[in-house]
Amino acid sequence: MTNGHALPGLDLVRLRTVTVGGVEAWFPLQPGDRELASVGETVVPGAPLGERLRDPRTEVAVGPTGADGVPGAWWQGQSVRRPRSGRTVQGELLFRSGGRWRIAAGDPAEPLEAPIGGTVSEIRSGAGIRLRTAARGLLGADTLGGPTSGRLQVLAPRDGHVRASEIDVSGSGAVLVVGSTIDAEAITRARAVGVRGLVVAALGVKERREVMASERRARAGVHGLPPFAILVLEGTIGRPIATPITAVLEAVAGRPVAIVSDPACLLFDDADLDLPVPAADLVRITAGPLAGLEGTWAGLAGPYRFAGGVILEAGWVRLGSSEPVAVPLGDLERFA
Amino acid sequence: MSRAPRTLAVIDAGGATTSVSLLARIDERWRLTGTLAGPAGIPEAALMSTLAERVRTADAGLGGWPEFQDDALATMPTLAARSRRPGMLLLLGASRRIVGDLETEAVRTGWRFISASTESHDPREMTALALDPDVDVVLIGAGDPPGPDERAALDDLAALGASVARRRPDLRVLVGGPIRARRSWGEALGDEPEGSPRIIDAPPVAGSRSGSHALRAALETLRQDPADGRSGLKAAAASLADLLDLRVELLEVGFDGGARFLAEPGAAGGGPTCRGIVTAQGSLVPPEPDDDSVDSVLAWTTGSLDRHRMSDRLRDLRRRPWVDGAGDGARLRLAAASAALARLAALTPELTARPPADLTVITGGAFATAPASAMVLAVADTVRRTGSTQLAWDHARLLGPIGTIEDADERRSLLADLVRDALVPLGTLVIAGGVGGAPGSRRRARARSGRMMLEVAGTTTPRDLEAGELVFIDLPAGEIVAARLEFSEIVRLGKRTRSVTVPVTGGLGGLIIDLRDVPLNLPERRDRRRSRLAEWGAQAWPRDDR
Repeated sequence: MTNGHALPGLDLVRLRTVTVGGVEAWFPLQPGDRELASVGETVVPGAPLGERLRDPRTEVAVGPTGADGVPGAWWQGQSVRRPRSGRTVQGELLFRSGGRWRIAAGDPAEPLEAPIGGTVSEIRSGAGIRLRTAARGLLGADTLGGPTSGRLQVLAPRDGHVRASEIDVSGSGAVLVVGSTIDAEAITRARAVGVRGLVVAALGVKERREVMASERRARAGVHGLPPFAILVLEGTIGRPIATPITAVLEAVAGRPVAIVSDPACLLFDDADLDLPVPAADLVRITAGPLAGLEGTWAGLAGPYRFAGGVILEAGWVRLGSSEPVAVPLGDLERFA
Repeated sequence: MSRAPRTLAVIDAGGATTSVSLLARIDERWRLTGTLAGPAGIPEAALMSTLAERVRTADAGLGGWPEFQDDALATMPTLAARSRRPGMLLLLGASRRIVGDLETEAVRTGWRFISASTESHDPREMTALALDPDVDVVLIGAGDPPGPDERAALDDLAALGASVARRRPDLRVLVGGPIRARRSWGEALGDEPEGSPRIIDAPPVAGSRSGSHALRAALETLRQDPADGRSGLKAAAASLADLLDLRVELLEVGFDGGARFLAEPGAAGGGPTCRGIVTAQGSLVPPEPDDDSVDSVLAWTTGSLDRHRMSDRLRDLRRRPWVDGAGDGARLRLAAASAALARLAALTPELTARPPADLTVITGGAFATAPASAMVLAVADTVRRTGSTQLAWDHARLLGPIGTIEDADERRSLLADLVRDALVPLGTLVIAGGVGGAPGSRRRARARSGRMMLEVAGTTTPRDLEAGELVFIDLPAGEIVAARLEFSEIVRLGKRTRSVTVPVTGGLGGLIIDLRDVPLNLPERRDRRRSRLAEWGAQAWPRDDR
């Protein structure tokens, strides 16, 4: 036995934490966005945390004077651009120069709702709001859009690929687990039928760009678009979802969940939930010709020569009942 | 009575991987007993334990030392370097020109940066950038005296900067004198006391009162960290030059940045000198690879990936830089390292203009898995200057940690013991320019342009040389021979000459004679470019399995 570990050499394999407890979620704001909660306030799911400007701009106004004029404060008054029109502006004070305030303003505003209950622990006007939750978070690689919430529904197996035809109105209001990959057309359809979020193993750069462009167009043309987010579990290259993560998703299926971007994770309440614990000797191959396969740890192989004449530290992995194969240690992960 | 330690653990904790080496003092000299690297996040104790077990297995005498037993490893003296996170710098200016000047300085520092000017961004956008929690430092620069393009917006910029400083007490602000002198600055700053340590004077970046790279020095001062291995490479390079009495060039590509230093031994009783830069632009893959970054890597690849697919691969490499070290992954990693080396070379033309160093040392996690000859080819492709240089690889990543030793004598002493173990000879690279005439001339087409006579073990082996060719010749490490190069016309080989005798030393990559264009002239068409790169790569990559 080496390294004090029950399985020799396994502590040289990178440990991936599947879920974390007590997540503190950060919701970014921009200057001009308005916070509607206060520090210490307890919020329930759906409660307004703030308002985000859809079309922000800078206005010039005489603004407040003296102690009332603090950068970051909210102010409403007359614009200096067309004073005779009686037009008023409201927004966030940025700075005062030449006797005039620059104000971050804009309209219309979209609500920023708490996707999950918690306590507001920090507010930085123009920068963001932090929400301390008691929820457990399934960690992902990154998130597009959000925050959002809905009931979790598993649509595809861990190695599945979802096409547009497989998404219908039954997914409206839900957060769908769509397997290994999904194409941009299917994402657009999911958005159109009212799906609140997607959980996918990988999303390529091309799909990301198409989704973001589609989202920008939709937001420019439609008022009151419901929130939507995609939680990407692995990264950009398609692989099946790891079985310990699939097990958690299956355990949470049917329950309300939320997707947040910082940290990128799926939040759920685990008070009465018995989450499966991954086997200690389970390892997953994350790259190379065997990427996505899972097996059991069979010990350190030491320096080993791989394709391209490259010598790497390796470990033995038993895939099913076959003989163990040598895999670079860097291409392996285990779970906790 | 306590005994001087006779074992030492050297740790280089980089952004992507951690390298642990165990040293033992044998016969009054420090020796490297073993080294092991693992992905960042693997406990250093686990790496040390595995390494100690290997020492015990390989050498019963050494393995019997109490210091190499598992229960003693936790108390082993440690020399550790930890790569510092680059930090995010926001550059603000009152004109595009000034922001361009600020970028020119910031790009040659270890900071990542974003920039905005009053000409290109509105005040709300500039404030949003400055309020972003990821921004660590704001630099509000101006010419001294301010230029005509800046003057109209100086008051606004001063008020914006001071307001942001007031809203973010955690923010450090470097501010130029002409900005600080504005009344709007003082008014907007509120109750901030005069001389607050987080408000720092920034040297002017332009104008008659601007100094030579003073701003760059100020930015580097803000990043100073005695445990940062990348910064420590400068001192290590200087000590190496002093120790070996050679001109030493050091090239490093890591996860969050890279470095290029050229050190020269002291003359006339003076100490060694070292110049060069640490830059975030030298990182293997930037955090958000844009189209330019993707294209720069595509330019060095021989595969058929399109831009989207390459972007996917690079993002994956950035997220998990320790994976996919074999096969195609190794080639991708080296293509990214070549792109990073090219960026380093572009940022340091003053070093490229100098004669080649006697010894070029390659270091950094980006090269951890590359075959030796592929590493040499990457240097030959990107840092191109005529002449010859011996190449070595800091395989155990010892130079960074050694560079963090403050005392120069102590650093030199440890390096003197370890230099043979720390540096793996890769061979000698000889680059000749102007072989076969100017690019595109008729005479260049694969005609014999010269001849090389290599004398090994008393036997002289002649070889014809052709313009534009790249030759890898096996030459074992430790072999020191003379190579006589004769050309049919005058070429550039450090100097303009027809014939020259170059002392060459062997290594894992052997002797590399590079008669390609200087600078490298690759075809514009992608298929032809790939074909040319594949032709050269086939010589450098063992068992080419594309």
